[in-house]
Amino acid sequence: MDNFYYLESARINELLTRLKKDYNVFSPGLKEPNFTKGTDYSYRNLSDNQQFVFNPYRVIEPLKSFLTPFMENAAAYFNPGKDTIDLGKTIVFGAKNCDITSLKIQDFVFMEGVEVDYSYRMKREDTLLVSGDCIDYKEVCFCLALDVLPYPTMGFDLNLSPVSDGYLVEAGSEKGKALIEKFREYFSEAKDTQVWARKTKREDIVNRLKRHLLAQNIPPKESLQRLVKDGYNLDTWKEFMLTCVECGGCNFICNTCHCFLLADTSDDNKNKRLKLWDSCQYANYSRAAGGANPLKARYQRLRFRFTKKFDFFMENLGMPACCGCGRCIEVCPGKIDLREVWKDLQNKLKAKQ
Amino acid sequence: MKNIYRPFEATVEDIIVETPAIKTFVIRPKESFVFKTGQFIELTLPGMGEAPFTPSSDPGIKDRFEVTVMNAGRVTFLLHELPKKYSLGVRGPYGKGYPLESFTGKDILIVGGGVGLAPLRSLLFSLFSEINKYNKVVLRYGARSPDDIVYRSAIPEWSKIDKVDIVLTVDAPAPGWKGNVGVVTTILNDLPVDLKNSAVIVCGPPVMMKFATMKLLGLGFPPENIYLSMEKNMSCGLGKCGHCRIGKFYICKDGPVFTYAELKDIYDIWD
Ligand SMILES: Cc1cc2nc3c(=O)[nH]c(=O)nc-3n(C[C@H](O)[C@H](O)[C@H](O)COP(=O)(O)OP(=O)(O)OC[C@H]3O[C@@H](n4cnc5c(N)ncnc54)[C@H](O)[C@@H]3O)c2cc1C
Ligand code: SF4
Ligand code: SF4
Ligand code: FES
Repeated sequence: MDNFYYLESARINELLTRLKKDYNVFSPGLKEPNFTKGTDYSYRNLSDNQQFVFNPYRVIEPLKSFLTPFMENAAAYFNPGKDTIDLGKTIVFGAKNCDITSLKIQDFVFMEGVEVDYSYRMKREDTLLVSGDCIDYKEVCFCLALDVLPYPTMGFDLNLSPVSDGYLVEAGSEKGKALIEKFREYFSEAKDTQVWARKTKREDIVNRLKRHLLAQNIPPKESLQRLVKDGYNLDTWKEFMLTCVECGGCNFICNTCHCFLLADTSDDNKNKRLKLWDSCQYANYSRAAGGANPLKARYQRLRFRFTKKFDFFMENLGMPACCGCGRCIEVCPGKIDLREVWKDLQNKLKAKQ
Repeated sequence: MKNIYRPFEATVEDIIVETPAIKTFVIRPKESFVFKTGQFIELTLPGMGEAPFTPSSDPGIKDRFEVTVMNAGRVTFLLHELPKKYSLGVRGPYGKGYPLESFTGKDILIVGGGVGLAPLRSLLFSLFSEINKYNKVVLRYGARSPDDIVYRSAIPEWSKIDKVDIVLTVDAPAPGWKGNVGVVTTILNDLPVDLKNSAVIVCGPPVMMKFATMKLLGLGFPPENIYLSMEKNMSCGLGKCGHCRIGKFYICKDGPVFTYAELKDIYDIWD
């Protein structure tokens, strides 16, 4: 029971006010109701009179935005004076397990390999993640199909599970424990019954998600790498790319996509290198000198996105670069749904046997 | 902690015109810089842009290095316009380079095309400096025309070195050209190398690499002895930005030199 505490709903806004003195606090808020898309939540930088909202499922934006922002000043160089990077401490509420799990991909890219991206690492160290259990899901959610549970079991600093009149708070890291110690007056010992209530609620959401997925017929997780490899030369790619307008939304909204471009500029005679999100769906993504481009056609780029997610990362990290959040499905103006791409690959491969 | 996206400063000490489209830049870095042959750098034109190049000089020279650059687009065009003494930025060296240790005791066959001779020159200098370690060094190089041959005046000097055997070819001859005419694969017959005890290094434009590799495989060279210098669009140079991926590899960090055995199961490697 060491890591479990109880936080009363009635006191959470007071706690947030305290937190805001020392941290940048981001927490989900309700987006304007949209009848076609249902109720959505979005991170906001919590201001003084805003009330805490517990999002029942993941928010719109990817969590990566806090760690590898869409545009970042990656380096200033050969300028007079000192180039400084100013980073404040940040707390982000509202991340779900799909978000937390996909940070494994971002961590692998930016903190492992030949060298470490120190800007990412500093942001990672200076950001506290207060996640929450999912108590509902969106139509596009399919986390369970990829063995991602609707509640985090690791990778969070604190996790909130709604129980009656408050939250059962689990500390998942030393950083999380330290935060609780610092604000100890807001947290009481958790009771056995509260931990029990969490268990029941978790079982319930898993069962509901299982029923939800039953109708979706998603090919098994273990087969996805084989599908994109064996299906490399199938017509699936050419058929599905027909509606792609190359907006890049699927990459930008995805919490595992990490590609970026370095671009040099100079303002006021100051040399700057910007690091900008890039999308493998853009025609110029792989254009090299003299106009050579191995991903000239849209279908090659759609396939590239899939081989990166389901082959490259399986080979290099042992997990796919997808956590089943469904964001790319929701965002796509061309209605390209990766679940349908998998099913089509599976069907075409079966027919060929 | 080091910012991996930040270049260090270097000065252009000299500029050598090699061909109408190719120049060699002699660069003196302001920080200590060592590279292994076959590794590459990212060269920054401050405030303007960055592009990857493979040093073409002898890695044994520590206080400066050279890159040989073909004018092929925006950044390379700007580079070609530079005056001497200009200040540039450098990141790197990146990538793995040539595994010289596994070349010992072998016949070394080097097949190059166009500006692909730039990284190969650095390799040749490394081999020449310890020539006793290798049985022989055989170079087969093709350019579009005699005027497009890089390091043209140095090549006869290299030929004089003991155990070095060089044949050149051009696609389109000019008056006075006495050498072979035809693409590089036409000078890959009757190679004076031992198929079973050789290392073959190929570097050049993608089409040339493709046909040369197919020819070499046809001649019976084992895929694991054929070393290819791969090239793709790159941004970061260190396995973060995603651009240079082929299959399960990033060319920047897992290469840029791969054996054909490592690449043969990956689709579309020559595109
Ligand atoms: C490992 C490696 C080693 C190499 N070694 C050599 C060598 O020794 N010698 C040599 O001559 N060449 C070498 N090259 C090729 C050389 O890197 C290219 O010729 C060079 O990158 C061309 O750049 P460019 O800007 O002149 O060409 P462009 O065709 O203008 O641009 C090339 C790429 O940069 C992108 N780009 C252009 N402008 C911008 C911008 N403003 N913002 C963002 N992206 C932009 C383009 O989309 C394109 O993808 C090497 C390449 C690699 C990968
Ligand atoms: S690929 Fe799509 S469903 Fe998977 S993690 Fe990315 S946005 Fe979510
Ligand atoms: S979101 Fe859809 S339309 Fe936009 S690039 Fe991705 S696949 Fe294409
Ligand atoms: S150049 Fe960025 S990953 Fe290879």
